[in-house]
Amino acid sequence: MKLKGSYLAAAAATAVVVAFPAFLGAYPLAVARSIMTYMALAISWDMLLRSGQISFGIAGLFGLGSYASALAVLRGGMDPFTSILFASAFAAVMSMLLGLAILRLRAMYFSITTLALMEIFKIVIHNLHDFSGGPEGVVLPEPIFGGSAPALFWLCMAGLFMTIGVSWYFEKSKMHLALTAIRNDETSARSSGVDIFKYLLIAFVITSTLQGMMGAIQVQSYGFTTPDTAFDANFTLLPLAMALLGGIHSTIGPMAGAVLLGVASEWLKLKIPYGHLIVYGFIIILVILFMPQGLVGLARKTIRNGRTGVRHE
Amino acid sequence: MSKLSTSGLTKAFSGLVAVNAVSFAMEEGEILGIIGPNGAGKTTFIHLVSGILMPTSGSVTFKGQDITYAPAHKRSRLGIARTYQLIHPLENLKVIENVMIGAVFSRNRSLKEARRESMEICAELELDRLDRDTTQLSILEIKKMEIARALANEPEVLFLDEVMAGLNSDETKQMIAMIQRIARERRLAVGVVEHVMGVIRELTQRVIVLEAGELIAEGPYETVSKNPRVIEAYLGGAA
Ligand SMILES: Nc1ncnc2c1ncn2[C@@H]1O[C@H](COP(=O)(O)OP(=O)(O)OP(=O)(O)O)[C@@H](O)[C@H]1O
Ligand SMILES: [Mg+2]
Repeated sequence: MKLKGSYLAAAAATAVVVAFPAFLGAYPLAVARSIMTYMALAISWDMLLRSGQISFGIAGLFGLGSYASALAVLRGGMDPFTSILFASAFAAVMSMLLGLAILRLRAMYFSITTLALMEIFKIVIHNLHDFSGGPEGVVLPEPIFGGSAPALFWLCMAGLFMTIGVSWYFEKSKMHLALTAIRNDETSARSSGVDIFKYLLIAFVITSTLQGMMGAIQVQSYGFTTPDTAFDANFTLLPLAMALLGGIHSTIGPMAGAVLLGVASEWLKLKIPYGHLIVYGFIIILVILFMPQGLVGLARKTIRNGRTGVRHE
Repeated sequence: MSKLSTSGLTKAFSGLVAVNAVSFAMEEGEILGIIGPNGAGKTTFIHLVSGILMPTSGSVTFKGQDITYAPAHKRSRLGIARTYQLIHPLENLKVIENVMIGAVFSRNRSLKEARRESMEICAELELDRLDRDTTQLSILEIKKMEIARALANEPEVLFLDEVMAGLNSDETKQMIAMIQRIARERRLAVGVVEHVMGVIRELTQRVIVLEAGELIAEGPYETVSKNPRVIEAYLGGAA
């Protein structure tokens, strides 16, 4: 009964989102695209976090996907849509190789390494001037689908829905057991037959592929990019803040956080163009201190307490 | 052929030799006691056999196959399961999921099959309300859950590292009966580490005694407990 209700709600929400271009203008659609992009990144970050591994490499893979796609079109003559698939595959292969090297690391050693990778990618793009366009970036002949606002919206939405679908699969399949066991206690996991490295690698490659895909969609939608936009640290920071605010270790938490912070950030950008990053910083600190389970955790607790009449903790 | 054997198994921690040239064998269906004073190397020995630690030298053989350096997850698939001296609940998984992981990852079961099998195992161990969080369990229930998780691997050899610690005498009796039943019905070889000698006497057919990493005696509890070296080791440990 309850399950049926939530499926119904999800279907209704999906229908509304699909219909956005019917009643929204170009500017709100662009804002929606930006929020959907961040939402997909927030979800993908959370998917790896479920194993306990904290990645700071979102922007790195996002930028990698952007450049793989843009350069495939410019230098390889690929058509824009195929280049998105190519960039996703490129991100998959790169993250597989990287994962083999860095997934033995844990905690901050892993985090710092992923952060460094982002910088390395950026420096490489900066310096491969003739091939990559260097610091000035690259300009594509034209955005995908001729830049049609509804088409761009649906493309971004498709990327988001794919991410939500994969994340949902992670929650419902044995990935959930594997990743949670790894996060809680690697020793127990090993004794129960969990091949820890294999599952970390699967999660890392899948989430990196999604991040690269979103980068490719972004660059094809705008028709240009530079190293500083493609590898912008915001693509790491904002998704992190969104997932933390909404509630980690779930699909719905990062989604809720993305809507809230996404809308708030649009408004903040207009009010304090350079100060909005400080606001994100504060949100991250406050959430970690006072609401470690995020908004979704808070809501769950309230509902549970309301039902049973018992106060937890 | 023995189920599980070691030959000259040794583990040194930067100078300290925790397990020193231990050779032993375990047969199908036997309950073996592993005893020795605190710090004797019992837990380290189980870590070596189950793949949680890799040995400095020596070898481990399971059903004729050399598994000295096989990773822990492979050994659990081959049929070696264990519990831990310090409890290891997976706190973000429900009780049933804690048990299921053994069936899912060691036996490659679907979630549905794993759930059904795990429910059977839990029923056998008289562990109920399986959709609880692990934080709601008593210490006895956590120990049962960890034994159930090990059994979900469908092991042929099972090590229990001080499962009775923290249990009262009724619970200990219940646990002894349970272990005997499990071992009999599944024809399991069980290695039991325990400090309470009454438990060892009642439960095991044979014991090995470790002291400072070395195997100093082996045989039925009644014989071993009269061995002067063993008495000395325990008195030495207590002094
Ligand atoms: N990771 C480690 N690094 C260094 N020394 C260790 C390590 N693990 C165990 N030891 C040492 O090895 C020796 C054997 O420890 P072990 O835990 O195997 O003993 P035990 O027989 O299980 O003792 P207890 O009855 O107290 O559980 C001890 O001296 C211990 O301090
Ligand atoms: Mg011990």
